[in-house]
Amino acid sequence: MAIFGLWVINKAGGLVYQRNFSDGLAQLSMNEYLVMAGTLHGIHAITSRLSPTGSSSGAQVIEAETFKMTILLTATGTKFVLLTSLSDPSAESLLQKVYEIYADATMKNPFHTPEMPIRSEKFDVRIGNLLGASSSGAV
Amino acid sequence: MTVHSLYIFDRHCNCVYYQDWHRTKPPKPAVEGGILPAVSRAVTPRAASSDGNTTSTFTSPRNTLNLSSGIVVAVNEEPQARNAIEPPAQPPSSTGLPFDEETKLVYGVILSLRNMVKKLTKRDEQFTNYRTSTYKMHLYETISGYKFVMLTDPRADSVRFILRQLYSGPFMDYVVRNPIVDMDSREHGIDNEYFRASVDRIIRGLSIFQ
Repeated sequence: MAIFGLWVINKAGGLVYQRNFSDGLAQLSMNEYLVMAGTLHGIHAITSRLSPTGSSSGAQVIEAETFKMTILLTATGTKFVLLTSLSDPSAESLLQKVYEIYADATMKNPFHTPEMPIRSEKFDVRIGNLLGASSSGAV
Repeated sequence: MTVHSLYIFDRHCNCVYYQDWHRTKPPKPAVEGGILPAVSRAVTPRAASSDGNTTSTFTSPRNTLNLSSGIVVAVNEEPQARNAIEPPAQPPSSTGLPFDEETKLVYGVILSLRNMVKKLTKRDEQFTNYRTSTYKMHLYETISGYKFVMLTDPRADSVRFILRQLYSGPFMDYVVRNPIVDMDSREHGIDNEYFRASVDRIIRGLSIFQ
């Protein structure tokens, strides 16, 4: 069980926070991450329209052969994406905690502009403590 | 738990086969020219019936269900008798997208996710499935570029081995080895009676199919 990375995507599809925690996935340039966040934002919207039965949420978990992406969509449209190994059972609860930290360290920060990249040391440190500690690799 | 639908795409991005089982929101028929002929009788554009009887066998959702479950003629050449008469109003339960739009969205999603996974891993790793609150979509891609996409209940486990089984069983027997089916034609789907019946038999025999 390993945590590979965390993305925070704002309601317009822009990547406002990205951090890697352990090796296992390719290290991409910031530009590639931005493109990927935008793509994921679009896919997420489409997946909710493809439901064969009634209305559906967007994609919640996306799985590949060796890793999965767990997506938490908040009521305000911000998306938290956690990239973990396939067997990780705690991804959803971790995302809830990430959301709490986001609310505390980012949204209550008077110097933070909503929808803009997160540049808060406190957020960084608390995320590091939460995810760096629970993943097998060091931060 | 249940299985909702199965799509097969060829390497030219065309949907060549479609079948559904438990689907409470049936797709609207495709617009004319939106999909290839011989994909699925249930979603091809409706031809205006010659006797003016608009409640033909294809308009009832009940019959659509029957038709999509195996009792279908072989590779169906759509009658050319289409004219300006619009298809009759949709059954009330059909609130979804037209089928051709839907296949494009399905293909777009799986292709984007596939590319995203490949980029994230820098290996030739496959995207396998994603899950929402009401369904789970699975992908199996063959070496020849055919993509088998299945929508199931969100609680279902991976059905990749079943998709593989569909490929190595009915698909090989009734499509690849069928001299009448013109694969890779870009003009026709691969729907035929034996394939449909055989797929239906396998899916209905699954433990997740109820």
